[in-house]
Amino acid sequence: MVDGPGDNPLLATLDHSKLLICVGSGGVGKTTSSAALALLACLRGRKVLVLTIDPARRLLQALGLDQGDIPANTPIEVLPRMSGSLQMEVPEGAHLHAMMLDPELGASQTIERLLPDPSLREEVLGNRIYQALLPIFSAAPDYVALELIADIHAEQGYDLIVLDTPPTHNAMDFLNAGRTLSSFINERVLKWFARIPQADSGQKSPGWWRRGSSVAMAVLGRLFGSDVLPDIAAFFQSFRDVLPALRARSEQTDALMRSPVTRFIAVTAPGETSLREARHLRNLMAEQGLPFAGFVINRVVRAPASLGDADRVRQVADDLRKQLVDSGHGPQVAAGLAERLRLGAERLTFMDRADRDHVESLRRMGGTRDFCAVAPQLEHDIHVLSELRDLGQRLVDGVLPVVDDDGL
Amino acid sequence: MADVDDMKNLLDRTILLVTGKGGVGKSTVAATLARRAARDGKKVLLIELESVSRAAPLFGVADAGPEAQLVDHNIWLMGVDALSSLRYFALQQLKLETVVKLALRNKAVRGFFMAMPGIKSILFLYHLWRLESEHGPAGDGRWDLIVCDLPTSGYVIGLYGVPTTISQIFRMGPLANYARGMADMLFDPKRAGLVLVTLPEEMPVVETVELIERLRARNGVEAAAVFVNGIYPELVAPTEIEALVAAARSSGETPPHELEGMLWAAELLAGRNARAERLLPLLRNEVGDRMIELPHLFRRHMHLAAIDELAAIVGTRLAEA
Repeated sequence: MVDGPGDNPLLATLDHSKLLICVGSGGVGKTTSSAALALLACLRGRKVLVLTIDPARRLLQALGLDQGDIPANTPIEVLPRMSGSLQMEVPEGAHLHAMMLDPELGASQTIERLLPDPSLREEVLGNRIYQALLPIFSAAPDYVALELIADIHAEQGYDLIVLDTPPTHNAMDFLNAGRTLSSFINERVLKWFARIPQADSGQKSPGWWRRGSSVAMAVLGRLFGSDVLPDIAAFFQSFRDVLPALRARSEQTDALMRSPVTRFIAVTAPGETSLREARHLRNLMAEQGLPFAGFVINRVVRAPASLGDADRVRQVADDLRKQLVDSGHGPQVAAGLAERLRLGAERLTFMDRADRDHVESLRRMGGTRDFCAVAPQLEHDIHVLSELRDLGQRLVDGVLPVVDDDGL
Repeated sequence: MADVDDMKNLLDRTILLVTGKGGVGKSTVAATLARRAARDGKKVLLIELESVSRAAPLFGVADAGPEAQLVDHNIWLMGVDALSSLRYFALQQLKLETVVKLALRNKAVRGFFMAMPGIKSILFLYHLWRLESEHGPAGDGRWDLIVCDLPTSGYVIGLYGVPTTISQIFRMGPLANYARGMADMLFDPKRAGLVLVTLPEEMPVVETVELIERLRARNGVEAAAVFVNGIYPELVAPTEIEALVAAARSSGETPPHELEGMLWAAELLAGRNARAERLLPLLRNEVGDRMIELPHLFRRHMHLAAIDELAAIVGTRLAEA
C-alpha cells in the first residue's frame, strides 16, 4: 500500500490539484472512478465536490443520494453525513459533497443569472429559438457543466472539484466546449445576426452590411426559411447586452481548464477501441496544452498466479478427467467437463495476457511521465460507500511504475 | 403486419440505427449487421459519426470520409460530421457549389452552425433521409440498407426529437417542408429500425431498459432488436464445480495447486453468466424474443473473420425468428 503522495503520482494529483477533470468515452467506469477518487481525496483531508451527470442508481445508493427528491445542480453532503457506513473517521475539516447536473435547469439558471432584467429575460426565455434549443442541452450538457464549474470554483470554498465529464459521443467535444461556446456567442456572430432586420421593428440593416452579407443571408433564407431569421436575430440581439459577461465567463472557463491547479485524467478500459480513444484524447490534450496527469484503466482481468501455463493446465485437466471416471462419471461426461474446465482457464489466461499487453502499450505510449492506475474488473456494481473507498485504494495501489524515457 | 414483433425482417428495413452505451460493442454489431446483409446480396452503406473510425481498420482502409467508399463486397463506408452534413444540405438546396462555398466561408454563419447545439442532429437526419430516399452506389438507385453506427443513447434521443424541434424553429422554408418526410422515415417501423446493443452487466442492462421505456413513452418507438454481446460460452456449472472438487479429493492425494486457479477461473466465468441470466429477463420483458445473444470472442483484435463468426450467428437467429 502506498501512503505518501511523494511516491504515488495519483495521490499527488489528488492532494495538489484543485480541479480534476475525468474524461473518457462512456462505459469505462468514468462516473464510478470519479466518485472513488473524490472520496479518497476527502479521506485524505480535503474539502471535495464531485460533479456528476446521470449517475447509475447503484452509485447514488452508495453516496446515499437515492432517496427522496435530491435537488439537481445543488451540492449535497455525502461525508461526514455517511461516515457511519464507512466505519471510519472523516478527517477534521474535510468533507465530500456530490452534485448532480441537470443541463436543462442549468441553462435556465445561467440565463437568469446573466439577464437580471426581467423583461429582457422573458424575451429570451420566450424566444422560440431558445425554447427549441433548451431540450437539446440535455443531449449536449458540456456548456452547462463548464458554466457551473466556473461558478462553483469561483464562489465556493472547495479544495478540490472532481468533474465527471458528460457522456458526449466524442470526449473531445467536452474539451472544446468552452471554445465552442465562445464561438457561438462570439461578438462577430452576435453582431452579424443581430443586424438582421427584425420583422416588427421596421429597422433597416446598414447598407455596407447588406452588401457584404447578402449572399450568406440569401443562403440562410433559402436554407432555413426567411421567417426564422428575425427570430434568430432577436435571439442574438437579446444576448448583446450580456456579451461582455458571457465572454468573460467563457474565457474564465477556458483559463480554468488550463490552470496550473487543474489536472485531466483519462479513464479507459483495456480493449483496442477504448485504448485507441484514450491515446487520441491524450494526444489532443497535449496539442492543446491541457494539463494531463494520467490514465485510469478500469475493468482489467487478472488471472490468479496459481493458474499455471497451458501445458500444465492441460495436464491437470486430464488427471482430473481420469479421477472423474474413477469416481463413477461416464467417460464422455468426464471428458466434456474436464475440457470445459481447461477452456475456462485458457480463456482467463488469454484475457489476462491481452489486458496486460493493452495496459503496457498505453503505458509505453510516447514515453511520457503520465501515470497509469489499473483497477480490476468488478464482479458487481458498487452500491455501498465502503466499496467505493476500496476501489479508490485499489486504484492507488494499482499505479504502475512510470516509464521514464530518460532511463534514470 | 409482422414487422415490429418479428425480428425476421430486421435486415429488410432501409435504415438501422445502432446505438448503445460506450464500450458495449456497438460498432461490432453495426459491422456484423452490414456484413450479414451484404452477404445476403444487399447493397449496404455503413455510416459512422465518430471522429476516430472504428470500421476503417476492420475493412483495411485508412479512414471513413464524407464520400461513400466501397470497402468490401457490397459494403460502402462513410464518416459523417457536422460540417459534411451542412455542406451536403446546402448543396442539395442551392445546387451551386460556388454559392455553397461562398456562404460557408462566412465565419459568422459557419460558427453559428458548428456551435449551435442540436443543429448537428437536424442536419444529420436530413442527410440520412436523403441518402435513404435518393442516393445509391454509382447513382444506380437507393441503398438497400443503411446501417448507422450512432454515438451514445443521448444522441439517439435527440435524433428522434428532431422533427419536433424543426417544427418549433422552422415554420417555413425547406426544413419545415422536409420535417414530415424525415419523420415518416424515422417513425415507420418498416423503414427505420432501432437496434440497441448492450452487455450482460448491470449498468448497461438497466440503462438499455430505461432507454427502451423512454423512447416508447416519448416517441412511440419500439426497439427492433436488442443485441447482448459478450456471453461466455461453454462453461462449468456450479454443481459441476462441486463434482470436480469431489473427484480431485477422491484419490486421497492433495490436488495440484493449479487446480485452485482453474476452479477460480471456472467460478469467475460462471458467475458472470449467472449475472447475465439474472439480468436478461429485464430486457426480455421489454422486447420479448427480439433479442440476440452474441458470444464473447476471446480475440485480441476485431477483424473480419470474427465479424463473420457473429454474422453467422445473427443469420441463424434471424432465420429462426
